Amino acid sequence: MSQSMVEPSALAGRRRRARDRGRAPFVLLFLLPAFLFLAVFLYYPIEETFRIAMTKSTGMGSEAYVGFDNYAKLFVNEEFLAGLWHVFGWAFWSVLIQLPLAFLVAFSLTFYANKLTGPLRSIFYLSNVLPSAITAMLGRFIFAPKFGVISSLATGLGWKWLGSVDFLGNKDLAFWSVFTIATWAYTGFPIIYLMARIEQIPAELREAAELDGATGWRYAWHIVLPDLNYPLRILAVLCTVGSLKLFDLPYIMLTGGPGNATVTLGITLYRHGFINWNYGKAAAVGVVIFLLSLGFTVAQFSLGQSREGEKA
Amino acid sequence: MKKRSVFALTILALCLIASPLSAQKVKLSVWAGDIPDDSPDHAYAKALVTGFQAKYPDIQLDYVGLGNDGFKDKLKVTMASGSGLPDIFQTWGGSVMGGYADAGQLLDLTADLKSIPGSAAAAQAVTWKGKIYGVAPFFAVAGLFVNEGIFKDNNLKVPATVEDFETVCKALLAKGIQPFACGAKDKWPTLALYMYLTNRFGGDASARAATRRLAYDSEPFVKAAQLYQKWVKAGYFGDTPLGEGYGDAQTLMFTGKAAMIVSGSWLSANFASSEMTDQKIGFYAFPALKSGSVGKVTDLMGMTDIGYAASKTAASKKDAVVKFLKYAMSSEAASAEPGRICSVPGVKAKNSITGQASAVFGGAKTVTFWWDQDLPPSVTSPLNDTIQSFFLPDTDVKKALSAYEALVTENMGPVKK
Repeated sequence: MSQSMVEPSALAGRRRRARDRGRAPFVLLFLLPAFLFLAVFLYYPIEETFRIAMTKSTGMGSEAYVGFDNYAKLFVNEEFLAGLWHVFGWAFWSVLIQLPLAFLVAFSLTFYANKLTGPLRSIFYLSNVLPSAITAMLGRFIFAPKFGVISSLATGLGWKWLGSVDFLGNKDLAFWSVFTIATWAYTGFPIIYLMARIEQIPAELREAAELDGATGWRYAWHIVLPDLNYPLRILAVLCTVGSLKLFDLPYIMLTGGPGNATVTLGITLYRHGFINWNYGKAAAVGVVIFLLSLGFTVAQFSLGQSREGEKA
Repeated sequence: MKKRSVFALTILALCLIASPLSAQKVKLSVWAGDIPDDSPDHAYAKALVTGFQAKYPDIQLDYVGLGNDGFKDKLKVTMASGSGLPDIFQTWGGSVMGGYADAGQLLDLTADLKSIPGSAAAAQAVTWKGKIYGVAPFFAVAGLFVNEGIFKDNNLKVPATVEDFETVCKALLAKGIQPFACGAKDKWPTLALYMYLTNRFGGDASARAATRRLAYDSEPFVKAAQLYQKWVKAGYFGDTPLGEGYGDAQTLMFTGKAAMIVSGSWLSANFASSEMTDQKIGFYAFPALKSGSVGKVTDLMGMTDIGYAASKTAASKKDAVVKFLKYAMSSEAASAEPGRICSVPGVKAKNSITGQASAVFGGAKTVTFWWDQDLPPSVTSPLNDTIQSFFLPDTDVKKALSAYEALVTENMGPVKK
């Protein structure tokens, strides 16, 4: 009885495997363009970056193998260390400030939805569609001493103390000036993303929560936030990896200055490669960014999965 | 009759086929930082493109203006890859152009260009290891731009010595006027003054340091840096120098909020333009020290302002390239420039400030090229970073210069004993 029941299924399995084997060449053929694309534009550049990082090269001629010398020099280089410190700080504050801010706005716009929600959503997202060069120029326009928006307004109002603050030239304030502009520019996307997720929460759940007395922020804390676990994790990874690669805003606003006050790993890479003609060191910075991004991504997802595992 | 018709048709067909070939234009690609638009800064670039095209209709000019930084980045990447090079590119000469020449990417035009008349300094900038790679129709020298109106209103005299600056700056500060505009946020604008101060303290110190006969943390460099920082701390550059870019510095001069700026003569056109400023601004040579000055007033800092060189890919169309470069050095094209010092003989200055700058240039005994263009690229950007750091009150200038010297040693070798 059991034999007669197993045999047809085993037969079906064999047939399926044989059919799959027959399809394999076609599957590989269809995968080939994507693989070739990745090989040319991703795997090969990564391999080349690792290779060049072991050489002394101006990018204009011969290369000399120097082993790990570029890495050794980087880790005693003041600019690189400042860049490393800044991207970690940037990642930390982005996750700590931008994500909660995005959640607050997203929740408020969905929970208290009315006819203004649509326009407000567009307004919050607007900063995200602006090219970063324009965002940076706006930042300069706002924070510039003497002729900037803040300085002019403060002087006009008679607040001389505020008018004379050097937001861009003071090395203790420069980082925060750029970060403030970044918060405005980069929070639009998380808001839209979280709003989309919050809107998917069934209305019955909210009604049930309200019946149980969980209204407003209690509903946000106990129902919405747990539901956003995965999207928030994705956003945290994007924030962290984005911070590690940060280049445009601090470079266009302040070229990494004053001194090394707003320098990032991306700026260090650019300077070594395109200004100082030191491709080896630039590649070494690239490798560091790559490894850090990879490490953070894996760690953040693993952490999230192990927590989910614990809950289950 | 029939045979004759066939013959005529054949000839006609051959003519039709051959005519596009014979009329085929030589294509010449030019990459530049200057965009040929209506800005006074770009008047020459515009005249060059339109004038050349009108004069040589058989050459198709594909001029791409990329903006300063975009152009430099694109050129560097293309030179590194070795493919997709333009036939001609804008250059400031010096070691950057020399790096391309060393990599074998440039076209040696010594035989074709050596007889072109022009200033010796400009020719020197586009010459590398004895070979001429291009032309430099315009030259820039740094000097002291002074708001003569402010000086007159406050009974001040243009500083005749470096020490005089302190008297003048104190008087200006007392009147609530910022003595110097700079644009330190952009880093490179800090260089000209430091080059002058170093020269006045140490003469050819920079040349000796570049050839590794002197260290960058030796006395002239340190003394110049200390004086620079002293002036910063005294407020001669205003309260917010590091927050102000080069554009802001010009605005301070345009509006009469700052009285002086040490910068390149390229600013002459803007300062002479009634559309941009109602201030009366003049150009003066940077003074020497009152006593013990090693460098002299006639020692100037400067370099090519606009130049062009050709890449090796243009070897097959050398004639067209030479035509373009010669036209770039023609008085016809150069006459369109409203503000730069012209290397082309017979082209007169268009405004009084350029006239003053040209006179200063004419009296030069030596011209030191911009360090950030003439030193190897591996040490130029850190140089500007180092000078900008003098604006930070807690910077130990000696330490900063020693760190720079260590980098130079790593890239250019130690000082020769």
